[in-house]
Amino acid sequence: MYAPEIKDNLFIAKKIIEKYPREQRYSLAVLQDIQREYSYIPRECLKMISEHLRVPVSKLYSMATFYKALSLVPKGENVITVCDGTACHVRSSMVLIDEIEKCLNIRPGQTTEDGKFSLQTVNCLGSCAIAPVMMVNDKYYGKVTPNTLREILKNYGGVENE
Amino acid sequence: MKVFIDGKPCEAEYGEYILDVAKRNGIHIPTLCHSDALSGIGSCRLCIVEVVEGSRRMVVTSCLYPITREIEVFTSTEKIKKMRKTIIMLLSSRVPQNDYIKRLREEYGVKPTSRFKGDNNEQCILCGLCVKACEAIGTNAIAAVNRGITKKISTPYDEVSEDCIGCGACAQVCPTGAIGMYQEEGKRTIWGRTFELLKCEQCGKYYATREQLKHSIDKLDGKKEMLCDRCKKKAVAASFKTIYEDMNL
Ligand code: SF4
Ligand code: FES
Repeated sequence: MYAPEIKDNLFIAKKIIEKYPREQRYSLAVLQDIQREYSYIPRECLKMISEHLRVPVSKLYSMATFYKALSLVPKGENVITVCDGTACHVRSSMVLIDEIEKCLNIRPGQTTEDGKFSLQTVNCLGSCAIAPVMMVNDKYYGKVTPNTLREILKNYGGVENE
Repeated sequence: MKVFIDGKPCEAEYGEYILDVAKRNGIHIPTLCHSDALSGIGSCRLCIVEVVEGSRRMVVTSCLYPITREIEVFTSTEKIKKMRKTIIMLLSSRVPQNDYIKRLREEYGVKPTSRFKGDNNEQCILCGLCVKACEAIGTNAIAAVNRGITKKISTPYDEVSEDCIGCGACAQVCPTGAIGMYQEEGKRTIWGRTFELLKCEQCGKYYATREQLKHSIDKLDGKKEMLCDRCKKKAVAASFKTIYEDMNL
């Protein structure tokens, strides 16, 4: 599995965590900040948060597995989000997912070996008018077809030039 | 304060839960996620009853409903029975092979349904009582993990937990016997971890894990005697005896 080196980066986590008062109610906020910084919640951080906020690791782990926005496994450099809401589903979002699998060899919830891409699905991106919709990081792409999909992935270095 | 439960007049303190009052008066209400030692969670909904307050009639969970007025309670009206049947049907779809739920199903005459496909190896109804127990012990080794259809109770990362002391409280309160705890000659295994058991200094019976004893010494009385529950009681009784003897002198 893809696992970036974070050892020397832990002092950033320490800074983030220590910004917060030692109270249980900041658990989610800290987890979100850590997620934002590392794009996942490293094991070491869970322990650090637990010690700082005096919240049991089991409770933090429970939260981290509950919220979709938090991830325990490292996300890739580029996060591809394919909408699989009703409108997009009807307009064959599954074809896009299959196409991504062909290109990058990942299914939803997985990350490529080189750590470049992660794939996830969501149930609506709020842009049904331009279905099927997908996002790469913060950028939206509408009316995506398998062909345009390849173009998009190429821009991010995902598909070799043929 | 006076309340009527199934027509029987019962005395209740302000704020007492219906279930507790019913129990004290020998009226049976079925429960799953309830333990007298822990505060209620109200997740299984099996303990529902009908409460009549003046002209209002409502269905409440008796384990969590505090009595604040003089009310009438009915524990097994047709409506309640019907609702309980649905609850039991759903629970048994989740744990088709669980003996306890099977017995409930028989008691209430609920037929197994093929509408949902349950896992024959599943025994947990996710009521959360074990988590409550572990919390009460102060160890917090287990919690709910994931959500939706993948939700389960587990230790962080599904690994052997450093926080677990092998006390077995979680297994003890579990209403469906879903938590495996295995004990053989001096060893206890729970949540994937094997603990060494200690012997009672008096009767020589295995009674607790080393971690459990350390935990209670740290947290509770600070006394270092290694006695099982029975010998502890005996010791207490003996000390009373001498007190009385002293008084008689
Ligand atoms: S055996 Fe472990 S998990 Fe269960 S209640 Fe005791 S400390 Fe918690
Ligand atoms: S015992 Fe009341 S909801 Fe479970």
